[in-house]
Amino acid sequence: MTIPIVPKLLRAHLSELAVNDARIDGRSQWGGRNLEIAHSVLPRAEGSARVRMGDTIVLAGVKFQIMQPYPDRPNQGGLMCSADVRPIAGRNWEAGPPSPEAIELGRVVDRGIRESGCIDVDSLCIIPGEKAWQVILDLFAVSDDGNLFDAFALAGIAALRNAIVPAERFEVGEDYALPVSKTPIMCSYHKVGGRFVYDACSREELGGDERIHITLGDDDNVHSLQKGLKGIFSTEEFEEIMTNAQERTKELRKIVDSM
Amino acid sequence: MGGYGDVQMIDENGLRMDGRSPGDIRDITIETGVIPVADGSCRMTWGTNEAIVAVYGPMEAHPRKIQRQDRAVLDVAYNMAPFSTTDRMRPGFNRRSREISKVTKDALESVVLLELYPRSKIRVTIEIVSAEAGTRCVGLTAASVALADAGIPMTDLVVSVASGKINDVVVCDLNKEEDNYGEADLPMGIMPNSGELVFLQMDGNLSQEEFKQAWKYNMDAAQVVHGMMVEALKGGGPQ
Repeated sequence: MTIPIVPKLLRAHLSELAVNDARIDGRSQWGGRNLEIAHSVLPRAEGSARVRMGDTIVLAGVKFQIMQPYPDRPNQGGLMCSADVRPIAGRNWEAGPPSPEAIELGRVVDRGIRESGCIDVDSLCIIPGEKAWQVILDLFAVSDDGNLFDAFALAGIAALRNAIVPAERFEVGEDYALPVSKTPIMCSYHKVGGRFVYDACSREELGGDERIHITLGDDDNVHSLQKGLKGIFSTEEFEEIMTNAQERTKELRKIVDSM
Repeated sequence: MGGYGDVQMIDENGLRMDGRSPGDIRDITIETGVIPVADGSCRMTWGTNEAIVAVYGPMEAHPRKIQRQDRAVLDVAYNMAPFSTTDRMRPGFNRRSREISKVTKDALESVVLLELYPRSKIRVTIEIVSAEAGTRCVGLTAASVALADAGIPMTDLVVSVASGKINDVVVCDLNKEEDNYGEADLPMGIMPNSGELVFLQMDGNLSQEEFKQAWKYNMDAAQVVHGMMVEALKGGGPQ
């Protein structure tokens, strides 16, 4: 990603708005953008989802491969999650091997899903020591207007929950729905104008400081955290966003679980 | 071409496996303005192919050495998403996608009025998110719609269609099975207003008569698809 010139004017404007408890697009501090989720949108993927949050649009696709289990874990399959932000998604994203930003996106989403235990890797075993399923979740940005993290995480879990294991095509039995036992949800907060806000848009990202990503599981258990970009935050600030994340993840989980 | 001529793909009534007559094309939908952050965009479905194209620019061309003093440079990238195929596609460029990017660029450079924007760059990104057969045609056609959606002056749109041969019958717009087991494939990029060509490839085996028929199918199909492209650009297509 090319380095955008951060306009001092934008930062000053965002600070002014924050003092008056306002945001650049009229939302409240914890307000999210309009959310649309659709699943099974890609005919060639075994599971898929499209998420739109404001002007941010992403796709997630699940594919399966047969792998040989690792020697130290002969009864387990694998889960791989990768994110790619190609030049289609915005003028600042460039072609080439995945940028550090895109790799961070993929890895943070991967940790939330993996550590929640929503996919039982033991159930992916076909023949111990010989054959197991590798689940590959590919996250693809179509339009980047900020907060790709939450959009990717949401699309990822929605795609997994609707995935069908293509056992017939690989001649290892009958097709079945991929068992997904939990619904980890990520909520991201960005320091804008000196305070954290939920679901930053691209202008807030451009004129903001650090960001924090929290993934919570079904019982509010914490599964992944990530602090990104330059900035300093206090325990009190973190407690505030964690409280908000507990509420917001419940709302989002209801939406995903009802799909 | 797989060249497995023994696979029966035309029934006794002369219909194809998906019920089409030899000259019929698959169902097509075209939407513009699908990427809010882009200057122009298009989503096109053609059978179970789906292409999403973004156009950014004209914008500053950098590094400076790629700039041309008398015209804009066109940066065209064609890519297939990892989940676009039956077996997962490894991300990143390969020889096939590089070649398709190049021929698509050559086609679009022939219609875009690049001399209007010296020293700038226009970026066209074609992403295939679902592939059936004929993705280069869908990508090129959708790219010309996205360029028009971005308001970039062009002498004409480009409609790209492929015809081929299955079981010794010339057919228009091959689907996946026909492409796999067919005996020839002739993709063309046509300027629908003048009937001139900006893109042409072919592989397989066609007699002179079969070749003429395939050429005619493509020309006729181009007019049909052109009507849909114009409707979508006028805002008459699905939103």
